[in-house]
Amino acid sequence: MNTNLKISNVTKIYPGCVANDNVSLEFNSGKIYALLGENGAGKSTLVKILSGVIIPDEGKIYLNENNLKLNSPLDAKKNDIGMVFQHFNLFETLSVFENLIIDSDEQRESLREKIDTIMKKYNFSIDLDIPVLNLSAGQKQKVEIIRCLIRSPKVLIMDEPTSVLTEQETSELFLSLKKFSEEGILIIYITHKLKEVMQLCDEVAVMRKGKLVSVSEIKNENIESLANKMVGQNLKTIKKKKAKTSSDQLIKITNLNFTSEDPFETNLMDINFSVNRGECLGIAGISGNGQSELFQVLSGEIISEKNSIEFNNNYIGDLSPQERREYLMAFSPEDRLEQAAIPQMKIFENVALNNFKSSNFFNNGLINENKIKEHSKKIISDFNVNTDNIELKSQFLSGGNLQKLIIGRELITSPDLLICFNPTWGLDVGAINYIHETLIKINEQNKSIILISTDTDELLKLSDKISVIHKGKLSKIMNAEEVTSEKLGILMGGAN
Amino acid sequence: MIKIVKRDQPSRAIFFFTPVLAIFLTLVAGGLIFFILGFKPFEALKFFFIVPIADKYGFSELLLKATPLCLIAIGLSFCFKSNNWNIGAEGQLTFGAIVSGGVALLFYEQEGFYILPIVILAGAIGGMLYASIPAILKTYFNTNEILVSLMLVYVSKLILDYLVVGPWSNPEGFNFPETRQFSDSAKLPLLFEGLRIHAGIFLALAAVVISWFVFYKTYLGFQMKVSGFSLKTARYAGYKGKKMIILVFLISGACAGLAGVGEITGPIGQLHREISPDYGFTAIIVAFLGRLHPVGIIFASLVVAITYLGAETAQIFMQIPKYTGQVFQGMILFFLLASDYLLFFKIKFIGSKK
Repeated sequence: MNTNLKISNVTKIYPGCVANDNVSLEFNSGKIYALLGENGAGKSTLVKILSGVIIPDEGKIYLNENNLKLNSPLDAKKNDIGMVFQHFNLFETLSVFENLIIDSDEQRESLREKIDTIMKKYNFSIDLDIPVLNLSAGQKQKVEIIRCLIRSPKVLIMDEPTSVLTEQETSELFLSLKKFSEEGILIIYITHKLKEVMQLCDEVAVMRKGKLVSVSEIKNENIESLANKMVGQNLKTIKKKKAKTSSDQLIKITNLNFTSEDPFETNLMDINFSVNRGECLGIAGISGNGQSELFQVLSGEIISEKNSIEFNNNYIGDLSPQERREYLMAFSPEDRLEQAAIPQMKIFENVALNNFKSSNFFNNGLINENKIKEHSKKIISDFNVNTDNIELKSQFLSGGNLQKLIIGRELITSPDLLICFNPTWGLDVGAINYIHETLIKINEQNKSIILISTDTDELLKLSDKISVIHKGKLSKIMNAEEVTSEKLGILMGGAN
Repeated sequence: MIKIVKRDQPSRAIFFFTPVLAIFLTLVAGGLIFFILGFKPFEALKFFFIVPIADKYGFSELLLKATPLCLIAIGLSFCFKSNNWNIGAEGQLTFGAIVSGGVALLFYEQEGFYILPIVILAGAIGGMLYASIPAILKTYFNTNEILVSLMLVYVSKLILDYLVVGPWSNPEGFNFPETRQFSDSAKLPLLFEGLRIHAGIFLALAAVVISWFVFYKTYLGFQMKVSGFSLKTARYAGYKGKKMIILVFLISGACAGLAGVGEITGPIGQLHREISPDYGFTAIIVAFLGRLHPVGIIFASLVVAITYLGAETAQIFMQIPKYTGQVFQGMILFFLLASDYLLFFKIKFIGSKK
């Protein structure tokens, strides 16, 4: 049976921004649709409207010509619209089976049969009786999908489903999605990853700033054309020139271990690596495999044994972040809003967070505001931060501008080593390009980078050497040109 | 039509306007309550807010009440600005008073210029000791400072109770629950003949100036601010976040302790059961009404102090229970929180057009 889903003139306005501006779209079963857009383009709002989480200010939704009243997620479920969110909605301590039956009023036995049939049909193999917390991210996602399938949905919406998956899990997911589509389920796939759209989808709708920009068939598009539509301008592609091979060692990590008291943190086991001057070492991995702990050990937020970190011929394992800065190290943490900057404080106050002795930001315990402001103005102009008001609270900067400010703050000291963790996470394509160019420039000036990232494309683009972190252990270090994303995917999944 | 629009950035003007608005709304609501109770609203408000401070004596009483409120609120502003919810200032005040009172009793019937500084210092230390309990429990054992500091208030009041009826009670006092009178050298001097206002006001003013300087001009203040917003950021910047937490508690405890000293070494000159009419709790309202800013706190402490005096006048002249004062304090806080909505949203009046 054919399914036809129609979104007609949907508008949703939030204070200060129009999330969806008169969006109309039509979907038919048998095809996989991509909904593409940068962060903040309005795609999440649109799918939340489809799944009943948000009620639109204006506009209607029709499923097979019936006008749907979606006032709650339950309404969406009743109308056969299933949704898998980016962040899993599972009870970690309950078993898989309990999670699956939690929102169903059918008999347990008949449900179990039904679930078994579904799993057989799509080749899912998950033990139904173990607690969800023992599952991998890919398996958890399958549980979410099964939960939708139980209700035999007509429409299945996937919101950025691959952000937590390995390459292998991603291709498995794509196979399943294609199979669902063949069986007549209408699939809407939300993403900002262009490659996935090209691989998986038949039609693509691009959104920008709340508006629908284009609807087209995939065969008429390529990655560049989609990127340009998404950003709304022509982007130049950047390429890294091969760094001159230098043998001048800058930092060396030897037998570094970290055991955490917190059960939700990952222990680091026997980390060994070194980085030469002018080199970028990429560290790949699925998030939650010890990247955050590794970053903290390198930045000095977690103190380790003195001899485990040798930087520029000094042993610095037991030094605090502030002391490490004096040795010309700089750090850009993953979490922009909760760690790297304080949104409620002004731009220039945030600049003062990178306090090194020669900056004279603080003299004899007093704040030297003029010095900080002078310095902030320089960062803003040198690093293209789009504002001229350093008294502005940094929460009013966009993600891209805030990241430029942070990277600028760290680089203004011209450090020998920059350690950054997911520097382009959640940024729009324009800002990503700028950050990538900046990082390449650092390497060209014979400065080094340790780039911890969950974005494989970024790593392949910027790194000279790559290693993979899995459950707190580093793989052997490989030359970047010998590495493919498939190979990284296998290592990220824990295989050798 | 009225439309509510989100503000891009709260303006400075609105930041200081909303407390004024809150006070205005409190007066309106207060007048309404008096009206419902059968009083003439304007006359009642006059008894409440104007009569008590119309003469020299009344004004001195106003400053007397505002002094502890201001001192405590200044200390609390350090905690609140750095997101440490110390609501046990009343306990720190009581314990500060106990320690300084104990020291003052040691110097019973002794005279000397050195006695008063020691007594004052003892009060500050007492307050700090008492505030260090929630601080250390919070930083090293992840306890909730709201609960711990609040519960310790009742502990301190019971300790005081025990001391004034038991070991420290005045042997010649006919079993009244109070200690001996402190010697004159252990008392804060009165500023004017016949008025109760005492030198404690200088402690409060000094606290205002010092806190302004520390918070806005020093590296230490900057670190406190950062640690308050995010311990993660503080750690990343290389600050000792836990030490900062303990430090703000100690500052706040010291201020509350000093307020306790003022209460017992001022006009009263002895320890007794009821040393504070909940100044430690009321100061929380003062701190927020003053926007956690030293100058704002001065004004706020004066405004709130009136509610104490007004309640007494109203009781005498209008036979209204003095607890009306607490009603007014509660309304100020209520309207302040409500009008804070205007910090983030503005109301637009739009002509009815289609």
